[in-house]
Amino acid sequence: MFKKMTAGVMAITLGASLMAGCSSDSADDGKVTLELFSNKSESIETYKGLIKEFEAENPDIKIKLDAPPEAETVLKTRLTKNDLPDIMSIAGNATYGELGRAGVLEDFSGTDLAKTVQPSYIDMINRLVGPEEEGTFGLPYATNANAVIYNKAKFEEHGLEVPTTWDEFIASLEKVKAAGDTPIYFTLKDAWTGMIAWNSLGANVAGEDFAEKKSAGETSFTDKYDEVADKMAALVQYGHKDNMGVAYGDGNNAFAAGKSVFYLQGNWAIPEILKANPDMELGVFPMPVTNDPAQNKLVSGVDVLLAVSKETEHKEEAMKFAEFMMNQDTAQKYIDEQKAFSAIEGVYQEDPVFEGIKANFENGTITSFPDHYYPAGMGAENLVQEFLIKKDKEKFLKKMDSEWEKVQNR
Amino acid sequence: MKKKNSVFLIITIPAFLLFFIFHSFPALQGIFYSFTDWKGYGDWNFVGLKNYLNVFKDERAGDAYLFTFKFAIVATILVNIISLLVAIGLNSKIKFHKTLRAIYFLPYILSILIVGFIFNFIFAHFLPQIGDAFGWEFLTRNILGNPDLAWIGIVIVAVWQAVSFNTILYLAGLVTISEDLYEAASIDGAGVWTKFWKITFPLIAPFFTINMVLSLKNFLMVFDQIVALTGGGPGKSTESISLLIYRGGFEGGEFAYQSANAVIYFIVIIVFSVIQLKFLNKREVEN
Amino acid sequence: MNRKKTSWLVTTLLILGSLLILFPLYLTITIAFKTPPEMAGNLLALPKSWSFDNFAQAIEMTNFFNAFKNSAFVTIFVVIFTVLTNSLVSYAIARNLHKKFYKFLYFYFLSAMFIPFPIIMLPLVKQTSAWGMDNLVGLIILYIVFNLSFNVFIYIGYIRAIPVELEEAAIMDGATTWGVFWKVIFPLLAPMNATVAIITSLGAWNDFMLPLVLLSDREMATLPLVQYIFQGQFSTDYNLAFASYLMALAPMIIVYIFAQKWIISGVMKGSIK
Repeated sequence: MFKKMTAGVMAITLGASLMAGCSSDSADDGKVTLELFSNKSESIETYKGLIKEFEAENPDIKIKLDAPPEAETVLKTRLTKNDLPDIMSIAGNATYGELGRAGVLEDFSGTDLAKTVQPSYIDMINRLVGPEEEGTFGLPYATNANAVIYNKAKFEEHGLEVPTTWDEFIASLEKVKAAGDTPIYFTLKDAWTGMIAWNSLGANVAGEDFAEKKSAGETSFTDKYDEVADKMAALVQYGHKDNMGVAYGDGNNAFAAGKSVFYLQGNWAIPEILKANPDMELGVFPMPVTNDPAQNKLVSGVDVLLAVSKETEHKEEAMKFAEFMMNQDTAQKYIDEQKAFSAIEGVYQEDPVFEGIKANFENGTITSFPDHYYPAGMGAENLVQEFLIKKDKEKFLKKMDSEWEKVQNR
Repeated sequence: MKKKNSVFLIITIPAFLLFFIFHSFPALQGIFYSFTDWKGYGDWNFVGLKNYLNVFKDERAGDAYLFTFKFAIVATILVNIISLLVAIGLNSKIKFHKTLRAIYFLPYILSILIVGFIFNFIFAHFLPQIGDAFGWEFLTRNILGNPDLAWIGIVIVAVWQAVSFNTILYLAGLVTISEDLYEAASIDGAGVWTKFWKITFPLIAPFFTINMVLSLKNFLMVFDQIVALTGGGPGKSTESISLLIYRGGFEGGEFAYQSANAVIYFIVIIVFSVIQLKFLNKREVEN
Repeated sequence: MNRKKTSWLVTTLLILGSLLILFPLYLTITIAFKTPPEMAGNLLALPKSWSFDNFAQAIEMTNFFNAFKNSAFVTIFVVIFTVLTNSLVSYAIARNLHKKFYKFLYFYFLSAMFIPFPIIMLPLVKQTSAWGMDNLVGLIILYIVFNLSFNVFIYIGYIRAIPVELEEAAIMDGATTWGVFWKVIFPLLAPMNATVAIITSLGAWNDFMLPLVLLSDREMATLPLVQYIFQGQFSTDYNLAFASYLMALAPMIIVYIFAQKWIISGVMKGSIK
């Protein structure tokens, strides 16, 4: 009898806790909780600050920030579950394109918010969604720059000047190497960091319309990326002894500690480097890819766009947050903290660190990230990583072609 | 007696239904979707065997199978050798018997993922520091960054953890062997080696079979260690089948395609398990 | 046993081996107490001061107590209901194995042991979220159901060794089938229940993959999942990360220190059957 009673008691406890578990979602003292999903670990602190500000202005809205690793896989899992976060802060890349085509995001076309964004960035993300589906399913917010970051103190120590051609660039790397120093600090344990150089090279050598033509079967990696692959392989010669063994976070620390002269990264790495060494003096320049300085463009894309789920129960509140974010003051704060560039008209990045790429933004010598237009799930960064280890160019380019076609055909 | 039967049915039928709903039904759904082009959302069409044909042509899937099996076989063998040795050691007359046994079992209670994170640090920072300090060139680089060696790092972590459980199983077998058998063998002049092959091994053969099958099965599903250590890299050199299905199925929008992969994987596992059981049972009988 | 001499060689070898096991834990503990500047020096050194700042910061950052509560909630309910239900189901099957239906059930549950989780993962995630089960309760139900497969296997071996006469005597005294199970069989299963409880609680406490794919709401994350989620935020602050890891490992280690004899013999018993 005793056992039976224990079992009964337990059944009741479970029942009760089940109910508690179910009701606790809605019983949040009348507050609306929004989930903000972000794919960047670098912006967590900035977002936390902005959220605090927003919550102070809107006491009945609570925002929960979620920035998991492998964010795109997590986001796609949520899409499969039909359970998208209320607000998403994601990059303007193929995943955005797929979400746009899936028809799960709010369309911002023609809204007042969308009008505050520089039209070229709206075009950039519209191209990602492609011709099958028309619409602007996100608000481009922050943009980035894919660049060469350099340690100013070391730069002077080696008597270098900012290179404007590929040959000059290689010459400076050579000079550093000859002096017994490490030219570039690679962090290729994290595959995506290999794409920084890849994108600069690819955009300038293979042209902006490569993805479109590749999808139409008019061109291929084998045709267009031969030079890119050669130059990638050349750059890795100027790394440190464990290029493949160091991850991004450790690389930021190492560069901050003066372990190399150059660092191939985006603007987003700058706050991380400065966090590790606040007194460091940094400079940036666009990677000179060809020997014609007029031809070298800076790779810049939509690093962050804000999207709102179509299915959210709290659309009004989500829109309120989007408005708050798009506000000029907020946008300025975001780019100042993140050392990013704004997609919003009239908001400028004034940090002297970016002196070396300012001209590109002013005169429009900018091109977008080639890999943002690669089909999602192709895993290009892992293939590039593998190539940098094995250096088997022909096989690698063929594989890039076949993986692209494989994903496209699925 | 009739009443008794109905009680048993009342117990087992819900269990059967729940198991069917949450285990078999998803498996059947997976088989169903493997014949479609579903992305996990939106519309879908039947595509027949296209997904299956594509899996066979898919180099990435092929590499994942090769890696997973290489890893699982090596790890299984190492785990069984090491844990058998440790178990024999623990079963002999030693000091600190209880404490040592407790230490050797400790890894079993730890989260694989967290252990992986800790080892990730060891590979990335501690070993290179040792390498630099002693001038051992091979240690100065993170082995997880080398596509030819990264899998060994994963094996080390997997073995470190799995030895604990298998040791206990072997120990359970060893304590059942009577000391007298060894005494008798010693009188006959048998050496350590002979005693092991003639007495110990035959008597713990059933444990050996179970350990081999269970470890192989667990290692074939390797996931946590890889997520914590390499994320499948460098390149795709340590991408296991589980990781491929998870990543491809969700992120790549290849729900149907990876379902086909999962079905193939299932068939492979069954075939493997059957062969293994047959082989090991045969030895057991022979012995 | 006393006839043999203590083998110091084997003892020494085993002690050396055990250092390999303890070393990563030593590293975890010391790093958790160090500060970032100390990381530049000898990694083997002890921390300069034993300050709990890293732990306080990690608790706040990862909302440790919430994750702990989630893990404890899941583990406790999974263990209790796994032991109660799985033993009952096993009993029903064990006593009717001569009948076709039960024999089928036995092999049905058993064969599921050979189905790797990734095979059912994609549809399961879809199905559970459609049914509103992408939460801790859903997780608990899935663990209990999935555990059947292994537990039926080990329970049945044990139950078949219990003489039927015991039950018949109880029935003579007027007990129902329920009564027989709870009053006669369940207490006799105590050693096996302990084994199942230990293996189940370790499995539920340490599992990563099912929570990863099933739970969307970060408030519900279990301890291992939290360590994963915060990888990006730990970034290169290894001291903070290791403090967090240590706290996630600690509850099980503490339980183990006090109950290791019992836990080990529990697992051993399960394997002999």
